Amino acid sequence: MIGPSRVAELDMPGAAIEGSSTRPAQSYWNESWERLRANRIGIMAGALIVVFALIAVLAPVFSAVLTHYEPQTIDLSKTFSPPGSGHLLGSDELGRDTLTRLIWGARVTLGVALLTVAVSLTVGTAVGMMAGYYGGWFDDVLMRLVDTVLAIPAIFLFILMSILFKPTPVSLALIIASVGWGQVARLVRGEVLSVKQRDFILATRSIGARHLRLMARHLLPNVLPVLIVAASLGVGQIILIEAALDFLGLGIQPPTASWGNMLTNAESYFFHSVWLVYFPGVMIFVTVLASNVFGNAIRDAFDPRLK
Amino acid sequence: MPSATVKPLTRAWTTADPLVEVSDLKVWFSVSSGVLQRTVGHVHAVDGVDLEIKTGETVGLVGESGCGKSTLGRAVIRLLEPTEGKIIFKGDDISHLRGERLRALRRDMAMIFQDPYASLDPRQTVGDIVGEPIDVHHLAKGKERQDRIQELLRVVGLNPRFVDRYPHEFSGGQRQRIGIARALAVEPSFIVCDEPISALDVSIQAQIINLLERLQSKFNLTYLFIAHDLSVVKHISNRIAVMYLGKIMEVAGGSQLYRRPRHPYTASLLSAIPIPDPVIELRRERTILQGDVASPINPPSGCRFRTRCPRAREHCAEEVPALESFGDEHKAACFYPLD
Amino acid sequence: MTQPLLEVQDLHTVFSTKEGWVKAVDGVSFELHPGETLGIVGESGCGKSVTALSIMRLQRPGLIKSGHVMFKGDDLTKATEDEMRDVRGKEIAMIFQDPMTSLNPVFRTGWQVAEPLRLHHGWNAKKSLTSAINMLGRVGIPSATERAEDYPHQFSGGMRQRVMIAMGLTTTPEVLIADEPTTALDVTIQAQILDLLRHVNQEFGTATILITHNLGVVAGMCKRIIVMYAGRIVEAGPTADVFAHPKHPYTWALLRSIPRLDAERHEPLKPIEGLPPNLVDLPGGCAFHPRCAFKIEKCSRDVPALQRVGDTQLSACWVTQAGTELKGA
Repeated sequence: MIGPSRVAELDMPGAAIEGSSTRPAQSYWNESWERLRANRIGIMAGALIVVFALIAVLAPVFSAVLTHYEPQTIDLSKTFSPPGSGHLLGSDELGRDTLTRLIWGARVTLGVALLTVAVSLTVGTAVGMMAGYYGGWFDDVLMRLVDTVLAIPAIFLFILMSILFKPTPVSLALIIASVGWGQVARLVRGEVLSVKQRDFILATRSIGARHLRLMARHLLPNVLPVLIVAASLGVGQIILIEAALDFLGLGIQPPTASWGNMLTNAESYFFHSVWLVYFPGVMIFVTVLASNVFGNAIRDAFDPRLK
Repeated sequence: MPSATVKPLTRAWTTADPLVEVSDLKVWFSVSSGVLQRTVGHVHAVDGVDLEIKTGETVGLVGESGCGKSTLGRAVIRLLEPTEGKIIFKGDDISHLRGERLRALRRDMAMIFQDPYASLDPRQTVGDIVGEPIDVHHLAKGKERQDRIQELLRVVGLNPRFVDRYPHEFSGGQRQRIGIARALAVEPSFIVCDEPISALDVSIQAQIINLLERLQSKFNLTYLFIAHDLSVVKHISNRIAVMYLGKIMEVAGGSQLYRRPRHPYTASLLSAIPIPDPVIELRRERTILQGDVASPINPPSGCRFRTRCPRAREHCAEEVPALESFGDEHKAACFYPLD
Repeated sequence: MTQPLLEVQDLHTVFSTKEGWVKAVDGVSFELHPGETLGIVGESGCGKSVTALSIMRLQRPGLIKSGHVMFKGDDLTKATEDEMRDVRGKEIAMIFQDPMTSLNPVFRTGWQVAEPLRLHHGWNAKKSLTSAINMLGRVGIPSATERAEDYPHQFSGGMRQRVMIAMGLTTTPEVLIADEPTTALDVTIQAQILDLLRHVNQEFGTATILITHNLGVVAGMCKRIIVMYAGRIVEAGPTADVFAHPKHPYTWALLRSIPRLDAERHEPLKPIEGLPPNLVDLPGGCAFHPRCAFKIEKCSRDVPALQRVGDTQLSACWVTQAGTELKGA
């Protein structure tokens, strides 16, 4: 209880700065990056996500060079081939190559997750920032709106929307983001309320800065760490939601491959062709886990005191 | 309520006129409670203050925490909007300025903050921080802007090579210098210094005080110097205003106030300040005030200080004492002043 | 002279940081006599608080590397954690700068003040509470019986510090360590608390170590003071002598740099130039030499030991040890 604050008294980096000016400037971002780099598991998790993303982006190349199948190529002579030669990770009931479909599925799954995060973050940040910054009745109105959005049972909303709109990757992302932005708005608002109290905001006002500068130059950079953490943790959550919707048949529709609908499809053949369940399941599990581990690593890097 | 009415200037403002005239200024904050957040009362942070600041002088504002001195300082440079009363700056009523006219005013006044850690944006470099006022008011661009930033750093005693560094790389005193450079960037004529040294190490405080004094004579600055430490205020100020619970109790020149305080609160404040001299300390007579400062939500009737005042009588509860002159710019608000 | 109550001998306390070991307390020795009030002054990071915490063995995550803390014949640095618990709060009490975070917000004040009695004397709730209320009254809390029912947030800052002092005194300890007890308080409240500490010292005969950065506070409170800089004692002696004829350039310069309420004319202050040293990267020799107006060649090379200079004072300075008077414009 007494310890840390006493140590803080000792911890005065740069107290001897007058003499030494050869050291490069240590920005908050630099220092956080240094801390992140020291976290090997976190870095591995991050690298894994990057690798998956690269594979997703390069899916056409992979299917042309590596697997020599198209994701929709049906070969009824080779249904349910077990993993091995010909089909590296086996094939499904229509003889489609599992590896190829996983690679193309990564495109859809990660694409949906990324788009959802981008939309939620943009809308949520804008709403949360304005609510927290302006306060008063404006804050009340916006936050009651957020409360309302978050009060709707999400899964029913998703089901309803999927019935109303044809679920394509883009529409699915928008559907999930229609709830996701609320969480982000709350998070950002809370953060803005606390940053707003700090004297440097008053100091910036005192020199005559406009609202837009205050929000863009001062509040946003100080809220950004929270957003980055939210984004990396969000990717995992969204993949899970998307997989669940696919599994219920309300998400990405076959024949387009996604990890979620590959699982649905495999359910019926579970007893004789376990690989059909196994590979998409592992992909979802590993990606979500990596996203969570990486998100936590980033959080620790930004704020080592939380550790 | 009796108050000094400010005569609007019929001629143009000159430096012979007061730079700032505050009359019957009130700044109240509403206190809300319950589920519906209804307003249940007001914090009378500043509650009827008259104060005049002459061009080129330093007025010290002292008082204990919660007396409203910071609120007054912020209202004077319009970081807060007054609830009532008037603020005249260079002959213009700025009490309710808004929008672009308020923004234009910001070029003429600045503020230096207490906490050198919280008052600098941790995500900005020193150059960004000091350059921001220049950008906001489009004062310079490109090379000229860079030169200006470096010049400002030099003026406050920092190495101009520090422009690309971040605040956390500096010690408290150096950060305060960065804050001072930012305040100077708009070339203001009036600076509110809100406890600028109380967060600093003892051996650094004198450096910053001397810097502020040097800058004042170099740039013809007028200061409102807010602090709780009367010895520092006495050192730097031409005149001192003593505040208690939202009101000014006494105004006088520094040595006049120290030698001959008229208000019992000033007297007890002076006697409470330790003097770094054991010989004097042993001989000193202390008037130790009883109790705590009353709540600014329900301030006492009549004189605010009467609940702790050793000289209070019945009359003090019935009427609010006005600031009365004791000659030579010495004013005190007390029915039973000290000799 | 009486036997010292507490004797700190060559204490070294270190902290591990990512930039290396930091010597927060670097060879500190002093004695505390029964009933006296000893002042330890210095700026943040000088090691004054860590010294106090090390005496109480609360220096964690710091590490006491060597040295002894002799208290009534026992070496506290060798005591077990159980033995320390008996000493803490019972024989040596400590009060801190921030009375808000030192009290637990969820317990009634009276209950907390009574806690040392339940803990150390094994008294029951009723008996300890009666004693606690008595003590709250003695430290100047009006209507103590009713206030004992209140929670800490219902007290003002000054009143909370009184509560902390009451809590420290319930078991009538022999030593009270007050670490910046008035720094968070307003001046008029500071005067009240200092007055209370004087009164406690007289009435209970408690020996007090008063740690502060405020030279005015020690001037009025302590007969003897220790001045610390960068983890070391640079000067020690009777307060009157140290203030009248400082024998270390740091003390000398510090006294000249602070504005005084009783100053007659307006003269520019004479600040100590430069910055307080970074403990991770201390200058060689005397830690103060880069800021010192009197430095000689030796100062940047060898660390001066604390030695008698003049009749009553100790100073760690090559210049004054050689007999030079500290004088300046």
